[in-house]
Amino acid sequence: MTAATMERTGQDGRPPAGKTGPLLRMDNVSRHFGTLKAVDGVTFEMHAGELRAVIGPNGAGKTTFFNLISGLLPPTGGKVIFEGEDITGQTIVERVAKGIVRTFQITEVLPDLSVFENIRIGVETALRLNARPWISRRERAAINSRVFELIDIVNLDGKANRIVGELAHGDQRVVEVAVALSANPRLLLLDEPTAGMGDHETDHMVDLIRRLHRDQGMTILFIEHDMDIVFGIAQRITVLDQGRVLAEGEPDAISADPRVRAAYLGSLE
Amino acid sequence: MNRIIAIAAIWVALVALPWWLPLIGGYTALGSKVLIYAIATMGLNVLLGFTGGLSFGQAAYFGLGAYGAGMTLKYLAPSTPLAILIGTLVGGAAATLLGPLVMRRRGIYFAMITIAIGQLFYFIMVRWNEVTGGEDGLAGFSRQDIHFGPWLYRLDETNFYYLVLLGFTVAVAVMWMVLQSPLGHTFVAIRENRRRIEFLGVRVERYIWAAFAIAGFITAFAGTLNALLFNFTSPQDLHWILSGNFVIMIVLGGMRSFFGPLIGVIIFVVAQDYLSSITGNWMTFIGMIFVLIVLLFPRGVLGILARRVEVR
Amino acid sequence: MQLLLFNAFNGLIQGVFYALMALGLALILSLNSVINMAHGGFLVIGAYLAYALSPYLGFWGALVAGPILAAAIGLAVERLLIRPIYKRTDPLYSLLLTFGLALIVEDMTRTIWGPQGLPLEIPDVINSPVSEVYFFVTGYRLFVIVITTAAVVGLYLLLRYTLLGIRIRAGINDLETTAALGVNIYRLRALNFGFGCLFAGLSGVLAAGVLGLTPPMGNSLIMPSFVAIIIGGVGSLFGAVVGGLIIGLAAGITTTYYPAASEAVIYLMMLIVLVVRPRGLFGEEGLFE
Repeated sequence: MTAATMERTGQDGRPPAGKTGPLLRMDNVSRHFGTLKAVDGVTFEMHAGELRAVIGPNGAGKTTFFNLISGLLPPTGGKVIFEGEDITGQTIVERVAKGIVRTFQITEVLPDLSVFENIRIGVETALRLNARPWISRRERAAINSRVFELIDIVNLDGKANRIVGELAHGDQRVVEVAVALSANPRLLLLDEPTAGMGDHETDHMVDLIRRLHRDQGMTILFIEHDMDIVFGIAQRITVLDQGRVLAEGEPDAISADPRVRAAYLGSLE
Repeated sequence: MNRIIAIAAIWVALVALPWWLPLIGGYTALGSKVLIYAIATMGLNVLLGFTGGLSFGQAAYFGLGAYGAGMTLKYLAPSTPLAILIGTLVGGAAATLLGPLVMRRRGIYFAMITIAIGQLFYFIMVRWNEVTGGEDGLAGFSRQDIHFGPWLYRLDETNFYYLVLLGFTVAVAVMWMVLQSPLGHTFVAIRENRRRIEFLGVRVERYIWAAFAIAGFITAFAGTLNALLFNFTSPQDLHWILSGNFVIMIVLGGMRSFFGPLIGVIIFVVAQDYLSSITGNWMTFIGMIFVLIVLLFPRGVLGILARRVEVR
Repeated sequence: MQLLLFNAFNGLIQGVFYALMALGLALILSLNSVINMAHGGFLVIGAYLAYALSPYLGFWGALVAGPILAAAIGLAVERLLIRPIYKRTDPLYSLLLTFGLALIVEDMTRTIWGPQGLPLEIPDVINSPVSEVYFFVTGYRLFVIVITTAAVVGLYLLLRYTLLGIRIRAGINDLETTAALGVNIYRLRALNFGFGCLFAGLSGVLAAGVLGLTPPMGNSLIMPSFVAIIIGGVGSLFGAVVGGLIIGLAAGITTTYYPAASEAVIYLMMLIVLVVRPRGLFGEEGLFE
């Protein structure tokens, strides 16, 4: 990473005036399903401007962890704090308004609509226009230009009018990211962004994540199975195993950690 | 551009309808009926086709509009505009009040509750004899000529048709505006993937409620015109069979397209009119139309045409 | 008091028919994911076929044959018309299809047997009043209650203890997993649809003995059955039965005090339930919401 981009990340990543400390803090958070402890007493901090990966063997509780951050599930114990505010009891809707935006492991798009229409609804929602039964020419122009800006950012130029359900899988996932971006996220959560993609598509997505972090100063937390990607782009890595944080640190430290190796080898056996 | 020409052509044909329809064996009131049902079904389609809310009790709001208009003329004041206004408000308000009871439901459950709620109004109209005329229906009122200061608009059959056409044009313009707006985009997004739009921070239930209310107002408006067309309304105008007919008209025309319901209404109303004139078993034929449409033409007429265009 | 008891008992009998209808509807709703608008049609088929066969088979034979024939026709309809559209996830289509069937059955019944009401002859053995004071408690009405109880208990035992019943319940719970476990869900759904129609047919024959036969009888019983399901709680078969009995009783009692509201009252009850307890009396939370 160049000095210039480091500096930019630092600027954008600084917490807003009057607030210090981490962007997101999970304080001893648990989620139990009956006797199954999917997430069990996790404490986790993330600072603005970070690009962090969450890894762990299958069943480690990664997706549940995401659900707890995004508000899809309420925790059975602990606190979720975002920008110093306790958001444990808040719904998804409230958290999206705060800037916690996620994508899903399973592709979630509006399949019969075009790329443009998929992103437009995101832009209109971000502008809180959903309840408006009319639209002026000027507003429409502003919305459209924002949509094309997002299409440009994610490199889907030329595909604006394609029906999303007919696009390749990789492009559908890129549309999802664009829709997430339309909500102006302060924390972007990507659940297995490259799952099921071919090499070429994976490269495109990895490049997109990297650019979002570098050029937009976006704070990104992602779950990923492909270790080449994880160690290729993440600044820090959090390893979950059996619902607990097994290790956390920079890629070099994680790859050298014997417990991590054991957990992964254990799950392979 | 082609679209504008097509719409202009349709509209010119509608304006000229009182001249050409009798030439091919129809009558002007049939034209009025088609337009009235088109308003009702296009209104319902905002909910059904665009928001994905499977309302199977829409006749209730149509009937409430009709009774509202008829009772206004009979008991309140001899004014056609007032009758239309009150009928529309009564039906629309009922839908707005009941919306919260259905907005959380999905799929078949939504359908079941909307059907059952509709029956409440049916039985009120059937049993509240002294006011509603009970099973025989509400008669004893007639649409009144409209006065604009010194100028008089006489509501004979042809002039009433033009009033309906005006109502149709206004309703279409309003629905078009809504569906092109962020609200309309939100409706479509809910139909496509409710979960996705929920995670964007949209309180989906409120918008389903809004669609339910809009559909209610527009169907009620159509109901008022229907009562004025026949100077009569009966419990059949809010029976679940009419609700089912509305839905099949929409599916027949194409529920994903804006003007689909209009096409469906034309085919259905003309077929019904014709069948009931040649056979006592027209109900069986209508039933068979239902079955055949479901099995063979689920996308409707415009759906099939659209696909053909896509393929080319 | 006598009048109240009279109306309440009448209402209870009416409720028994709603309950039987609702039970069949709820079975089909849960496993086949179809709102069977033609359910009243199957009721009419059961009733009229029993009527047509009773001169040959007698009342007892017709009581058995009517429901079985309704179930057989139900199986054929499921196979020919409904199975092809299971794959369409939008419930709109099965709703419209069965709606069309409902119209056809009512109209054909009218054509074949005429629009006027017909009586179903009941053997004297079970038709005499049980008590002089409570003249309305005829043997036949008690018989209706006994048969219905037996049918409901029979269904309960079937669902609880037979392999088929366990599969049906598993399918209701999670159809995909049940299919993955190697159960032929097409056959399962077909049989289930047949069971639903069997209950409709039984309801029809029993109702014919009390109310007589008319072509619209099925379509006028179906809406209260929906209400029974909503009040009882969607997804709960037990709730459907209880809901049917409750609304029957409520309508009967209302008849005593304010006859004009006897139909509207059940829809008002439904609205109250929807406001106060949206999932219904015995419905699972979150299901279908």
